Amino acid sequence: MSAVVALRQERSDSPSALPAKIAIRHLSVDYPSPDGRPVRVLQDVSLDVAPGEFVAVVGPSGCGKSTLLRVLSGLLQPASGTAAIDGRGVAEASDRIGFMFQRDTLLPWASVEDNILIGAELGPKRVDRARLGELIAFLKLKGFEKHRPHELSGGMRQRVSLGRLLAYEPEIFLMDEPFGALDSQTKAAMGRELLRIWSAHQRAVLFVTHDIEEAVTLADRVIVLSARPGRIRLDVQVDLERPRDPKLLRRDPRFLSLVERVWGALDVQPDL
Amino acid sequence: MSAIIQSGQAGIGLAGLAGRRVRLGLIRDRILLFAVLVGGWEVLSHTVVDPLWISRPSLIAERLVALAASGELWRNTQRTLLEAVLGLALAFAVGVPLGIAMARYKYGHAVAEPFIMALHSLPRVALAPLFIIWFGIDLFSKVMMAFSTVLFIFMLNVHEGLKTIDRDLLDLLRTMRAPRHYVTRKVLLPWIVPWLIASLKIGVGLALIGAVVGELIGSSAGLGWYIEKSAGRLDTTGVFAGLVLLMAIAVAGNLVVARIERRFSSWRPS
Repeated sequence: MSAVVALRQERSDSPSALPAKIAIRHLSVDYPSPDGRPVRVLQDVSLDVAPGEFVAVVGPSGCGKSTLLRVLSGLLQPASGTAAIDGRGVAEASDRIGFMFQRDTLLPWASVEDNILIGAELGPKRVDRARLGELIAFLKLKGFEKHRPHELSGGMRQRVSLGRLLAYEPEIFLMDEPFGALDSQTKAAMGRELLRIWSAHQRAVLFVTHDIEEAVTLADRVIVLSARPGRIRLDVQVDLERPRDPKLLRRDPRFLSLVERVWGALDVQPDL
Repeated sequence: MSAIIQSGQAGIGLAGLAGRRVRLGLIRDRILLFAVLVGGWEVLSHTVVDPLWISRPSLIAERLVALAASGELWRNTQRTLLEAVLGLALAFAVGVPLGIAMARYKYGHAVAEPFIMALHSLPRVALAPLFIIWFGIDLFSKVMMAFSTVLFIFMLNVHEGLKTIDRDLLDLLRTMRAPRHYVTRKVLLPWIVPWLIASLKIGVGLALIGAVVGELIGSSAGLGWYIEKSAGRLDTTGVFAGLVLLMAIAVAGNLVVARIERRFSSWRPS
């Protein structure tokens, strides 16, 4: 209880005018290592995400980007610090969290339709045939309703994952390199679809990626984490008007200087 | 994408056509091989070897007809079949939940593992005398023999299958706050289907071994009993008649499993 009060106080003096949807305070996370000693992957991370804000997190591999999402979804316990959604701990939070992995985590034996229906069955309301049809058309999966995942391309499988996510009607999107395994054209197309969905629903999004241009193209704000243990090295607003056209952005000097800044904050070192 | 799938189907169609031609030839050649073997046996028993040792296909056929007419064929076949099927079903009913428990309670499994493996390595055939003392010489002791030979197959296969389950898939459902029964029904049970089929494939033969061994040690009916009784009288024709029937049961069992496998084989974990 006192932790909640403390959070409220802290929130009032945070620079953002809106109350935070996601509030992360002094979060540190350890992972057990093979020799039994814990390895620190995140170190003292504090971060607010406003309602409807699209935040991208970039950083070198192994810096704890995915760990951050796992803590927020309740899959992992932090070593210290707190993560709260609407002022409540992630375990008690009532918001539906839509998690998306880099790998499509579809039921291999179930059809496209049945996979999408999983989201609906666990979501707030029943999805009828008409709504399911709409969703399938929106995701350009028409004609593939009865196909199984192994009969689809990587991009289509990831669209089915997205369909399941949307049918669940999440209030927060936690996306762990969701398009990381796709080729660059498919990735750009999926990014556009994600922005379309996001602008229609205005949900908070925490989007982990290692692609800096993708981060700057999609997000309102880009967070750069350092190498392990991950600390926040840069937290930069992306003041580029929406809707954004990726093709035009590539020539926009503001876009280029932002990409440059993010690159500069990333200390990319070869893994030893 | 759709073009790729269509051409894929066309490919399968062509393979199917060639397959049918090959299959017809295969069936013809198999019948031929069977005729050569049985004919050779018949000739051998008329010329070189005394039929006292190897009987004779025509005699075995006559015996089978006589057994069928007297009702003894069905009585003994049905008995052995029942023992094996009940043993298999019981092993399924007990082994699958035990396998799930082994995967769920990791510490408990670690404690019990050496004992499970010791029991698994014990030649179950050696339990037959004990089971006859415990469960009598009738049906039940044979069911328990079949059960004890197959049990570990289900337990270990289900456990192995659950160990390879996709963690990300389970994590995803956890983030969506799926209730445990939902995860069990939607993920765990479908996931282990290929392992259950693999268990059944091995289990059919093993259940039959268990039942027949029990019958050989002590019984009053069944194909094992008939074989044992015939052998006691140097009636090799009776022994071979029993063996033919056992083989027929095993082949029928394998066909049933193959059907089940075809029904579920559209998905397989990679």
